[in-house]
Amino acid sequence: MSISYLLVFLGLGVFGFAIWALFWAVDSGQYDDLENQGAAILEDTQAESELDR
Amino acid sequence: MNASALHARWSLDSGDHEHVIFAVEGMHCAGCARTIEKAVNALPEIEGVRVNAATARVCVDWRGKGSTGLEQILGAVMKAGFKPMPLAGDAAASEYQKERRTALKRVGLASLGMMQAMMYLSALYGVTDIDAHMAQLMRIAGMVIVTPVLFYSGAPFFAGAWRDLRNRRLGMDVPVALALTLAFIPSVINTFRAEGEVYFDSVGMFVFFLSAGRFVEMLVRHRGLSSTEALARSLPSQVIRLTTDGSREKVTAADISPGDRIVVPKGGVVPVDAVIPRDTFARGRLDESLVTGESAAVERGAGDRVFGGSLNLGDALTLEATAPASRSTLASMVALLERAQGERPRLARAADRAASWFVAVILVLATLTAVLWWQHDPARVLPAVLAVLVVSCPCALSLATPAALAAITARLARWGVLVTRADAVERLAAVDLVVFDKTGTLTSGGASINAVNLLNGLGREEVLRIAAALERSSAHPLAAAFAAHDDVALGTEQVREFAGEGIEGAVNGAPWRLGRRSFAAGIAVTHKVLPLFREAETDSVYLCGTQGIVASFDIGAPLRPGTREAVDALRALGVQTVIASGDSDRATQAVARLLGIRRAHSRLTPDDKLWLVKELRSGRHHVFMVGDGINDGPVLAAADVSCAMGQGSAIAQSAADVLLVNENLALLPRAIAGARAAMRVVRQNLGWSLAYNFVGVPLAALGLISPWVAALGMSLSSLGVVLNARRLSGRA
Repeated sequence: MSISYLLVFLGLGVFGFAIWALFWAVDSGQYDDLENQGAAILEDTQAESELDR
Repeated sequence: MNASALHARWSLDSGDHEHVIFAVEGMHCAGCARTIEKAVNALPEIEGVRVNAATARVCVDWRGKGSTGLEQILGAVMKAGFKPMPLAGDAAASEYQKERRTALKRVGLASLGMMQAMMYLSALYGVTDIDAHMAQLMRIAGMVIVTPVLFYSGAPFFAGAWRDLRNRRLGMDVPVALALTLAFIPSVINTFRAEGEVYFDSVGMFVFFLSAGRFVEMLVRHRGLSSTEALARSLPSQVIRLTTDGSREKVTAADISPGDRIVVPKGGVVPVDAVIPRDTFARGRLDESLVTGESAAVERGAGDRVFGGSLNLGDALTLEATAPASRSTLASMVALLERAQGERPRLARAADRAASWFVAVILVLATLTAVLWWQHDPARVLPAVLAVLVVSCPCALSLATPAALAAITARLARWGVLVTRADAVERLAAVDLVVFDKTGTLTSGGASINAVNLLNGLGREEVLRIAAALERSSAHPLAAAFAAHDDVALGTEQVREFAGEGIEGAVNGAPWRLGRRSFAAGIAVTHKVLPLFREAETDSVYLCGTQGIVASFDIGAPLRPGTREAVDALRALGVQTVIASGDSDRATQAVARLLGIRRAHSRLTPDDKLWLVKELRSGRHHVFMVGDGINDGPVLAAADVSCAMGQGSAIAQSAADVLLVNENLALLPRAIAGARAAMRVVRQNLGWSLAYNFVGVPLAALGLISPWVAALGMSLSSLGVVLNARRLSGRA
């Protein structure tokens, strides 16, 4: 049974890690734009150079 | 947010009156809207405050130059416990991003915590036999997990409840915060006593379901905001301006003043209202769909107007600005749309008052539930009370109307139909009779041939060709009506125009006259064919040759495109149509016949029109008046709903409830149908949330619903209301 005690603490540790990972991911902007990033590769990046012409 | 960020925003200022619209963070229900209204109204010199809970917008009118300034207004809002945010621009984007990130972290923590807490605490459900040490460890693990969930993810509920209580009113956060406290405190006590029930898993689940519901509401709200923001943001921030020596410089759109020459590259967006200068002889292909809703590309030549917000599909175009960015058509549209979304419609206000009472009733019911269960089975007091507090959903009730109205307003705006008043949708749905002004509304300027009456054996084509040949070189407005029938094979000579009479000339050698009857017939009189006419003149134009009058042409103003379809579609919707015109009987009847409209009133003065609209309304009709918006203000105001056609910055001053930006009447029936659909959704939403509460609360009081099911039910019912409204906005 003593292994259960260890597992409870291990579980709490994993929970803490998961929360840290989630907060890190959100704060680094990974969830900011879920719709447009997929299409970003199709976009023209020439707008700026056309302005300079 | 500082005040200057807001000042930079467009507003509809009119003399010494100031007007501002901003968004607010932390507003979830109608009660919050009233708190803000009260706080701002307490300031001196405030003329009006409108707060819309669904879109989280605050719209304030005040007399400027007094002691009240923007800083004081924002201060009052902050003191009431809300954070003002700008509506658009980079500052707004970062505020929304922050709000979204925080909400995401709250939901994420709650979902992870809820699942973990449930796993540990399921050991205590009595299915497995565990020793006291292990049980105590599970309680502690549950507490360790749920405490951050409650204080981080659940913080908005406590903040909201505290704000409500401080402002001495009952908002929807009060029962939620009460339920969370009631479940959490006994659980902590039992954990330290190392015996008894703990409800940490229920707390985790409440917080998760409720904050997930809030999260989706927030997403929908941001999306609603983005409909106006999409308009505002579509303008480029950088513009190429031509200096006097012909070189190019980059400036911001705000720096452009009327008269400046700017260059819009291919694929670029026109930043301000402008014209194509006559000296460039340029032609441009433009997509004006953002402004007018018209998706087909339009051709614009030298001297033509170009709207700010149009997309340049052709080659790079040099334009001359006609208005600063803050006065462009697009800016006026955004300002009007913001005003409409900032107002709270009558229906929503009624629901708000109901929701506030509703919370009071729920608190009383929860107390009753506690007392009754105490007498029967003290162990079940807490679950039953928690269920009653959580299951009730005043939120769905107060969201039902604004969510639907915001969705349909955004959709109509995409079509080019601007709803400028919050109540207009409700009244538009009730419309059963449309009164059209004729000139400028059903018909546009210019002339067209409405009918050709053949009088003397010649064919329709032939008379048209002769008339067109005579008018070939004429500058008279009538000439344009015949131009389509011109045939270069017909030679003309000795063409002379008689002002106010007509035109005379030889076509392929034969003399002809086209014009008023007496003038045209004159040629036949000289050839001794016809006696001189002595009858009254008509609006028609006559063609007369040596053999006598061969044809008469009924001339009228051309119908706007889409008019016939509009009238037919209105009829299909069961809406009657009436024409009210100041024009002559003949011209009015001709248009009425063309459109199949039976009731046509002609020769009406503006007073007569006013009287007509009032009489129709007293006959229990809901009257929709459609005018050109130029000089029919009082008539528009007298109708239940009014619609004007408008372009340019003039639309901002319009008194009409609805504006047709692209002047396409075919949108009217679509707008009425859309408004009816919106009111159907409102009724569904109100019906649903009432039914849900009437069923849910008694079941919870009887102890038949466990607290976590109640939390799920409440979140789903709010979501259902919001998603049902989302159907209206359609896919862009």
